[in-house]
Amino acid sequence: MPIMAPTGDGRLPLAAPREPIIRLADVNAYYGTRLAVRDVSMEIRPNAITAIIGPSGSGKSTLLRCIDRMHEIVPHARVTGRIEYRGIDIYDDAVDPAAVRRSIGMVFQQPNPFPTMSIADNVSAPARFNGLVRGKGVERDLVERCLRAAALWDEVKDKLQQSGSSLSGGQQQRLCIARALAMAPDVLLMDEPCSALDPVATLQVEQLMLELKRAYTIVIVTHNMQQASRVSDRTAFFTLGEDGAGHLVEEGPTGQIFTAPRERLTEDYISGRFG
Amino acid sequence: MLADAALVLRPTSSARRARARLVVGLAWLTLLIALVPLVAIAGYLIANGVGVLSPAFLLEDPPGDLSAVGGGIRNALFGTIEMTGTAVAIAVPIGLLIAVFNAEIGGRLAVGVRFIVDVVAALPSIVVGIFVYEVVVVAQGHFSGLAGSVALAVIMLPLIVVSTEEMLRLTPRPVAEAVRALGLSRWRSYASVLIPTAFSGIVTGVLLAISRAVGETAPLIFTALGNNFFSADLGEPMQALPLLIYRNALNSAFPAARDRAMGAALVLVALVLALNVLGRWIVARRQLTGR
Repeated sequence: MPIMAPTGDGRLPLAAPREPIIRLADVNAYYGTRLAVRDVSMEIRPNAITAIIGPSGSGKSTLLRCIDRMHEIVPHARVTGRIEYRGIDIYDDAVDPAAVRRSIGMVFQQPNPFPTMSIADNVSAPARFNGLVRGKGVERDLVERCLRAAALWDEVKDKLQQSGSSLSGGQQQRLCIARALAMAPDVLLMDEPCSALDPVATLQVEQLMLELKRAYTIVIVTHNMQQASRVSDRTAFFTLGEDGAGHLVEEGPTGQIFTAPRERLTEDYISGRFG
Repeated sequence: MLADAALVLRPTSSARRARARLVVGLAWLTLLIALVPLVAIAGYLIANGVGVLSPAFLLEDPPGDLSAVGGGIRNALFGTIEMTGTAVAIAVPIGLLIAVFNAEIGGRLAVGVRFIVDVVAALPSIVVGIFVYEVVVVAQGHFSGLAGSVALAVIMLPLIVVSTEEMLRLTPRPVAEAVRALGLSRWRSYASVLIPTAFSGIVTGVLLAISRAVGETAPLIFTALGNNFFSADLGEPMQALPLLIYRNALNSAFPAARDRAMGAALVLVALVLALNVLGRWIVARRQLTGR
């Protein structure tokens, strides 16, 4: 799969909007008996950045974690409804959650490089463990390609054998993005990837996202509305219902959501009249 | 509401300062009391044992008659290292697997496993000796170093399980989530990420278990039995430092036996200390390089 698109020239042209890559239908997410996300149906388009915004507790992260079956690793957590990835029901009994997570990568709020591995190993080891690469030379290429794609190569090329935890927070986050890219996913889920970063590192990660969307589909959960309006093509607004469950209010092109939302709730939130 | 500054900033009363001094003084006193037995034992061992130490003491076997002057503790030192090493080779893999089972699979079975582990940890070591006697020595038909190793492994196992499980549970949540989100197999997750991440704590736990096992006497009495001669064969009865100390100290009416016991005790303590220093060094080096 020619998934990796290096920055610079020689890139594939932007894909025309095609079929949605992910479809959610009537998705409910529970923690035990508590309903955290209610009745979400939406579609995610390929080669675009979809931002999920909304107040704390509105189920943004929970919904995101349903898409790569990370929600269910919490004890007693479960999902109902249907989530399709390229037409496949990922909650089908025949589907291995690990396989879903290999196709749908995730970047977390807190940068989480493996503390016992070098920078190079952080990128290549998971790909090697999953049998995606074999051989030292191939691995070296993969490390360089992914670190370049994550805009980190120039900063770390001379210290690839140092520990991943020796990097700054912003570098660690880009290292985690490189690690996710090394798995050759085609969807990247980002759960508030910049909330632990300073403004400079945030800008770097945002520019990186704009580069990456040529080759990947990105879904980002963010608290930061400016960030959503800067980077995303489409925005989904979530809110916390009176029943304590988060739900989707509306979803549409980012420009429309921020300038002419259809729903009053969205408008209130966007204009800061919320809560 | 603002507090009255004069009230807040008033000088600490002399009674209060006296109380503080009293408590700090008490803390120092209890510390000193706690140190007394430690310093006394170390001092006593050094005073009585250092004179005995020599290269020959480490490199020669004891005389057949322990009242006789001369000879060393080679067989016991070697036996202790060989049996403890074998016990580590038995207990560490089993202990790691049990800990991973408890941490990963959990559930009702894990509660049962944890209970059994706690029971084994609480067993008096002489009972472990009797158990291994029944299971290994009787089956083999004779005492052996292997039986001694198994007994020491049983002593070490619960300590390794408890400390490893604890360390695995302390895995930072972001790391645990990264492992899941990358779709790694369970085996890979543990072998390549989770156990290495917990490595320092696991090593510390294993070292504590070794330190405990190295000094055990009771479980060796009717398993390894002891041996006045040198033997590296795990199929034969084998000498160990605690056994040598025990037999010689029992005969401390003979000055040669007493000296031998003292020297061997000092060597045993030094061995445990060296193990701990080694462990700290491994852990510190690993943290420095992050590997």
